[in-house]
Amino acid sequence: MTELATEARSESPDVSRKAIVLGGRVLLFLLLLLGWELSARRLGSIFFAPPLEVAMRIVSLAQSGKLLEDVAATLRVSALGFAIAGVAGVLLPFLLRRSPRVTAAVEPYIMASMGIPKYALAPWLILWFGIGDLPKLVVVTLVVFYIIFITTFAGIRAVDRRLIDMARIAGAGETRIAREIIWKSLLPFFFTGLKVALPRAVSATIVGEFLVATEGVGHYIEYSRQISDTTGVFAGIVVAVVLVLGVNAVVNTIERRALRWRPVERDMKL
Amino acid sequence: MNRWRTFFDRLIVLIVILAAWQVGSFLVGAYFFPSPGAVALRFVAQVWNGELIRHGGYTIEEALIGTLVGGVPAVLLPFLLRRQPLLVAILDPFMVGGYGAPKLAFAPLFILWFGIGIESKIALVASVVFFIVYFNTLSGVRALDPKLVQMAQLAGAGERHVARHIVLPAAVPHILAGFRIAVPYAIGGAIIAELISSNRGLGYLVQTGAMNFDTTSVFAAILMATLIVLAANWLLNTAERMLLHWRPPADAMLDPGN
Amino acid sequence: MGDAPLLEIKGLGKRFPGRLGREPSPWVIQDLSFSVRAGEFLTIIGPSGAGKSTLLNMIAQIDTVSAGEIVFNGETVKSHDARTLRPGFDRRIGYVTQDDNLLPWRTTVENVLFPIEVQGRLNDATRAHADTLIRAVGLAGFERYYPHELSGGMRKRAALIRTLAYDPPVILMDEPFAAVDAQTRTQLQADLLKLWDIGRKTIIFVTHDIAEAIALGDRALVLSRQPTRIAAEHAIPIPRPRNVQDMLAVDGFAVIYQRIRAAIQ
Repeated sequence: MTELATEARSESPDVSRKAIVLGGRVLLFLLLLLGWELSARRLGSIFFAPPLEVAMRIVSLAQSGKLLEDVAATLRVSALGFAIAGVAGVLLPFLLRRSPRVTAAVEPYIMASMGIPKYALAPWLILWFGIGDLPKLVVVTLVVFYIIFITTFAGIRAVDRRLIDMARIAGAGETRIAREIIWKSLLPFFFTGLKVALPRAVSATIVGEFLVATEGVGHYIEYSRQISDTTGVFAGIVVAVVLVLGVNAVVNTIERRALRWRPVERDMKL
Repeated sequence: MNRWRTFFDRLIVLIVILAAWQVGSFLVGAYFFPSPGAVALRFVAQVWNGELIRHGGYTIEEALIGTLVGGVPAVLLPFLLRRQPLLVAILDPFMVGGYGAPKLAFAPLFILWFGIGIESKIALVASVVFFIVYFNTLSGVRALDPKLVQMAQLAGAGERHVARHIVLPAAVPHILAGFRIAVPYAIGGAIIAELISSNRGLGYLVQTGAMNFDTTSVFAAILMATLIVLAANWLLNTAERMLLHWRPPADAMLDPGN
Repeated sequence: MGDAPLLEIKGLGKRFPGRLGREPSPWVIQDLSFSVRAGEFLTIIGPSGAGKSTLLNMIAQIDTVSAGEIVFNGETVKSHDARTLRPGFDRRIGYVTQDDNLLPWRTTVENVLFPIEVQGRLNDATRAHADTLIRAVGLAGFERYYPHELSGGMRKRAALIRTLAYDPPVILMDEPFAAVDAQTRTQLQADLLKLWDIGRKTIIFVTHDIAEAIALGDRALVLSRQPTRIAAEHAIPIPRPRNVQDMLAVDGFAVIYQRIRAAIQ
């Protein structure tokens, strides 16, 4: 009831407020762009490639098909790593749920292993598998696994015990309880994990490509740096940022559809 | 009695892990996969001769300075903008974009700008830490109960007093949570930057070890890095618990996983 | 309605596991005995606290028994060990809890049909029965709404007919109407009696409201303070069908009310 009152009161200032905010954002964006251009002029093109040149480079990369090649290479590894880690990260908590004893025994080691800097494994993996997709894949899989595992695990723990009791009394068996009650209760947590993991998978792949690759967006960025091609570095970073933010946006849309039954306030905001 | 059983269960799991490791090393060859014993020995040796300590120190230094450089403005900004909701709203998409954008992808750029010395690592860590701490602090400042502020104003408190005695204590749990979440990223970020290009730090040790085909020292360095991350986590958790003993345990699952 | 009681509670006791190193925790429930006949509407009165819900949890077998036993239809229930518990006793005992426990991702009609679906009895007949119940409690038109779109009273009704829909012979109710306003409560009580009248199930209804206990029950048991046991038993000879809305004016109500209240003081 209070929301209605406040809404009615702020009807007219609301429109001008939105205009100010939008205007401010556009202004800030233009200022940043201007700052970028000025920095390129004052500080020299070794440190700051001018925005226009960067844009042209991206266009030429798109035209030559290299952009698509590299993006595809990055996405390929990200998707595969995400798929493997996603399945493992969801399955393991469900399996662990069946035995609280095993869970208690294994939990501290899983938590401790989280502290291992996964990218640091890349050089060692190169010794094993050489330069190629595999070292990148392993690192990405590890990064995504922990995210999905932790969120799924927390989600399973957070399932309302009373709903499970109710379902048992109604006659539901263990499979039904797992399939419906736990899985559905889990979904919001799961999507939070996905939201974090999917973009993280892409960025992990890109970073992996810094360390070991012959193709991919990350490889392009690092290679450009090594040959002092600042424009290339900027172009690659712009593509990387757009890629990750794009993936983020897609996941958000999917989440909104799948969680239609949730009251809006309960969205897991940042 | 249950506690003892869990303790022994965990001991058994540890033994199983070490045994599997040893067997794996034996099967694959110590060249690719050093045994736990070899890693332990090398670790102790390198701690003893100071090498791991020195390089570990560099990594910690980078992470620490970067956390301060990124964290302090990130804490201040929500406080300064507390009375300017319009500015916060204008900034929001940029902050969200910055949070979502892969800062680690900027590592080569920072190296290009600042060279392979400590500055590029600090820049990377700072950029990672900034956005995490900003959002957590912001939510802490926003979560403030306006009735408490009203009460203080009625009692005659000025803006600065309100900020110090009402807003700050309410925001502290969120600020701490932000740092707690950011620290593993800070250390990880420092190491990644070192992996790409550096002449000191644990990441450097990993790279040189790999280039010399000395997998044992690679593992020893990774072990050191892991211990540092775990120690940092433990420190922050303890600090949080001590400072916030008045609070019912809060669940800051804002950023899961590493 | 045979003579042998449908449900017998004999010397029931409950205490929660103590913490390591401390003395054993006190008995929450001790030496509690009563019996219920088939088709009886039994109300249990007690102050708000752990005792009432714990008692129902034990009967429903979602909690273990520390002492005593439960006999259902002549069969002694093994409920001392958590591993031998059978929640709902193979669907013979339904439980309407204080929290409605509706599944948030199911619509009203899907929630009502949940037990039936789980028991594999979903067909035209059961669907029609659910529809009748939905209409009977005034939820017609809200079948496709999600729980968060319903008011508290509506969720209560949905939870109530969810249990009624699959027809367990015994239904436990834990202060189901406590969290709604007085107006809705009287309406829900009337609805409940109307529905009970059709099927004449055995109902054990727990409440802290003496008036409610008298209005609904054939017999009212009064619980003592901890360690909880049955302090008193009161027959309620008010003839059915009862007018819940005007209960206070009914002959004999005031007398019973005073008697029970005096005993509680």
